[in-house]
Amino acid sequence: MDLYFINKPNLDRLVKSLSKIYNIFAPVKSGNNRFYKKVGDEGLEGATIGEIRTVEPIKSFYFPARARIAEYFSKENSNKSEKPFAIMGAKSCDLVSFKVMDYVYAQEPFRDPFYMSKREKHLIISSDCTCYGETCFCVAIGIMPYPAEGFDINLSEVEGGYVAECDSLKGEQILKEYFKLFQAAEPYIGKREANRKRLKEDLLGHVKKSRIPQKDSIQKAFKSKFDSGLWEETAKTCVECGACNMICPACHCFILMDQKKDNGFEKLRMWDSCLLMHFARVAGGANPRKFLGQRLRNRFDKKFNFFPDTIGKFGCTGCGRCTEACPGKIDIREVLSKL
Amino acid sequence: MIENPYLPIKTEVLDVIEESSTIKTFRLKPESLLHFKAGQFIEMSIPGKGEAPFTPSSSPYEKDKLEITIMKAGRVTAMIHNLKKSDIVGLRGPYGKEYPLSEYEGKEILLVGGGVGLAPLRALFLALTHDIEKYKSVLFCCGSRTPSDIIYKDCVLDKWQNLDKKRVKFRITVDRKDDSWKGNVGLVTTTLDKLEINLKNSVSIVCGPPIMMKFATFKLLEVGYKPEQIYLSMEKNMSCGIGKCGHCRLGNFYACKDGPVFRYDKISYIHEIWD
Repeated sequence: MDLYFINKPNLDRLVKSLSKIYNIFAPVKSGNNRFYKKVGDEGLEGATIGEIRTVEPIKSFYFPARARIAEYFSKENSNKSEKPFAIMGAKSCDLVSFKVMDYVYAQEPFRDPFYMSKREKHLIISSDCTCYGETCFCVAIGIMPYPAEGFDINLSEVEGGYVAECDSLKGEQILKEYFKLFQAAEPYIGKREANRKRLKEDLLGHVKKSRIPQKDSIQKAFKSKFDSGLWEETAKTCVECGACNMICPACHCFILMDQKKDNGFEKLRMWDSCLLMHFARVAGGANPRKFLGQRLRNRFDKKFNFFPDTIGKFGCTGCGRCTEACPGKIDIREVLSKL
Repeated sequence: MIENPYLPIKTEVLDVIEESSTIKTFRLKPESLLHFKAGQFIEMSIPGKGEAPFTPSSSPYEKDKLEITIMKAGRVTAMIHNLKKSDIVGLRGPYGKEYPLSEYEGKEILLVGGGVGLAPLRALFLALTHDIEKYKSVLFCCGSRTPSDIIYKDCVLDKWQNLDKKRVKFRITVDRKDDSWKGNVGLVTTTLDKLEINLKNSVSIVCGPPIMMKFATFKLLEVGYKPEQIYLSMEKNMSCGIGKCGHCRLGNFYACKDGPVFRYDKISYIHEIWD
């Protein structure tokens, strides 16, 4: 893997140039949180490339919360060509969610045309985490706080700039095209590795307090607790809002709805939540998950049992967003620790 | 460009047949051909109102038209019941796994259906009898709540009875009789007693409401069928139909893409299958 160095003014120049081709979104800090904002015309415009993940998951760009997907009986393609996105500063915990999203949306024989076209066109310039948040626990489930794959270009912050790495043809082409903005990475590689090692160790120390089972024993532990009182107990403070699903980078479920359009109707696809009562209900009212405890268990079943069996990965990326979002103070680390 | 799997095909309602007080069969003609195999399902929508999954009940060999038998059970089905001849609906599909007919060849086939669960079995029955010489025999056990709840009456009680008297037999029962009924009375599971079938060379296919599927499956196991000889059509909330929306997950499967037809031994370990 070839590595290069890019200093901060040159990264600004690169972003300005790329903004002619892409709508560039980068994390911008507001209070203690980071949100994706459109940048680019004036360079990075105060974006925070390092630190930790944004509040919203990256799935919003590929699988929007609400999207028009078909117009009744119109053969026209509603997948209009739009200026592609470039997402900057995406973190490892978002990139690994593509394993789940690709499994769902790129799966034959019915590939999702909307997701696929975004995956093809969009650009991902990810970055290493430079610190961790209170709810972060990626390392406990085998995910590092720096991207290993799934990016076009990754940026690792070092003094004065970034070590750039690419993991796709798209990324290589950019590096080639803007070669003049990059320098040799040699002087900075040691620093990058030291930064990564330090953060990993700090984070390991942080998650140790949560007593999450060893990653290889989580699935077995979940199965052994399937019929336990843990789920009903945990559900006591759940208010069935679905925030944990919405904010999760690996939750992919949706519901189809119709709405009026001109003289006809169109079909919408909207995020759905398996915590909600209706989720598995069938015509006539039969519902395999009538109780909230069953639905809460279903969320863990999907993440820590179904996905390990079907794709060999957890359907959880350790980002800790669900813990932050939960008004019932349900902490995913605590639930895992009780398995 | 990848085809849009969410786009429904414009479809005309050709006829509406009243099967019982709560069940109607809709004869449909989609604008473009939609080839389904027995056991597969389609998504039917009323534009602007909603969409729901149904398994066609007509012969898969009929090329340009299909029939769907629907019980009024919820919001969408109630609206579908208001449809009239020449109304327009949307269809998507077909989706999911069909009945594995090649595995049934040379065998004695037992069909067990209850209520509107007869719908997919009718498509299967028509596919089996289309090539009846491939199969050793077909025994169709049908259960309904009352005589007036029996659907496909002209077929079940009349036309089909004379198809091939040697190979094709029926056991028809109602839970509660009325004055007109001269036949069997009892739950459909009672028709599974004293089967004149060589169980070693047989498969059974069950479709009906969840409670009936549960007890029919247990009864089949009791009379000697092995889990791998029992095929079930699982009713789950199949919304997208293509394994993406997540609603119909059943253990490590999605009913919409890995089913709705499942061999019982593949799913018997899953919690919640009968709920």
